[in-house]
Amino acid sequence: MSRYELNRLLYDLKMQDGLAAELRADPERVLARYDLSPAEREALATRDPRQLRQLGAHGMLALYVLRLRPEYDDNVYWTQR
Amino acid sequence: MGELVAVMAASHAPNLLLELGKEWNDFMNLHYSMLPPEKAHRPSLEAAQRFATDVQRTFGLLRSVLEAAQPDVLLLVANDQFVNFFYNNIPTFCLGVGTETRGQFARHTFAYPCHEALARWLLQRLIDEGFDLAFSEKLELEHTQTVPLYYVMPPGGPTPLIPLFVNTWVPPQPTPRRCYALGAALARAIAASEARVALLATGGLSHFPGRPRIGEVDVDFDRRLLERLMRGEGRALADYTVAELAEVGNEEFLNWMVAIGAAGDVPATVFYEPDGVATGIGFAIWHLGAGRLAAAQPSNLYGLLAA
Repeated sequence: MSRYELNRLLYDLKMQDGLAAELRADPERVLARYDLSPAEREALATRDPRQLRQLGAHGMLALYVLRLRPEYDDNVYWTQR
Repeated sequence: MGELVAVMAASHAPNLLLELGKEWNDFMNLHYSMLPPEKAHRPSLEAAQRFATDVQRTFGLLRSVLEAAQPDVLLLVANDQFVNFFYNNIPTFCLGVGTETRGQFARHTFAYPCHEALARWLLQRLIDEGFDLAFSEKLELEHTQTVPLYYVMPPGGPTPLIPLFVNTWVPPQPTPRRCYALGAALARAIAASEARVALLATGGLSHFPGRPRIGEVDVDFDRRLLERLMRGEGRALADYTVAELAEVGNEEFLNWMVAIGAAGDVPATVFYEPDGVATGIGFAIWHLGAGRLAAAQPSNLYGLLAA
């Protein structure tokens, strides 16, 4: 069940342009909307797609955790789907 | 009396539409997230430029065929990659029955009218024939569609779209045989309509997005697929299992199977070259309708359309 929730958070990071900023500004409030395990929360905190994939996130959704890293803010990847 | 005026297939790899240099590098760094950076394949700028020119020339042939076909509608067969659908609802097949569709790829925006009336008419006939298609009035265009559209039918032209999504992405996928049968049913429905329809399937060939195997391309398998298409023997490919296609990174060939079923036992002109990044890039133009124009071109399994 919570693997669905992890993938859902990543899908929402992909599809909702404002969510990354919201998550950075107030992580506890945003993460509370998803039913995540402690291991999933820890993996999200690493901002590492490979860690997320090891917990069962789809590889092509896991990379959307990189929207939380400021150095990727201007990446063209976020301007296409 | 309706007619299938062109049937074609083309890869939709995003690197085919990225600007070489920073944009390409930024994108590929992310796309390769599942691979340690030192293992990523990086063609030289020179090689990438040559490849981009060859790709554009080959897409140009598809574009000429489409223009000569003068279709009333372009039926675009592609897969979703978690844009329109998510794990809460994965349709095996989903037909667009809306009035328009929009999307964006980098600095390119896309907007097309959709042929709602024909889409609904086709949907009813397919359901009557026993194909339990999902359908949607609002679908977003994604790179699996926009990359080939940019080259073959850029926005602003007169031809509306009908999008058809095939689930190649989330197991269990439909079988190659089922996709072939859907293509054949579409061809029958189109023949019974009053419409001139062009069909473009996208995706493939061998590649492993989002997985540690990214970068592997099974060139032998891809060439065997395309050889069958050259000889008009695509029907035999319906014997494959999804597992066999998945093992070689060819799940997206399920989109092509719809085109193969629609075209029937007709030869095709094909082109193939691995892009040196992550994907075996393939093109096919079946020799029916305006596609007969392509019959004059020799196929190439070791390169794209030559200058």
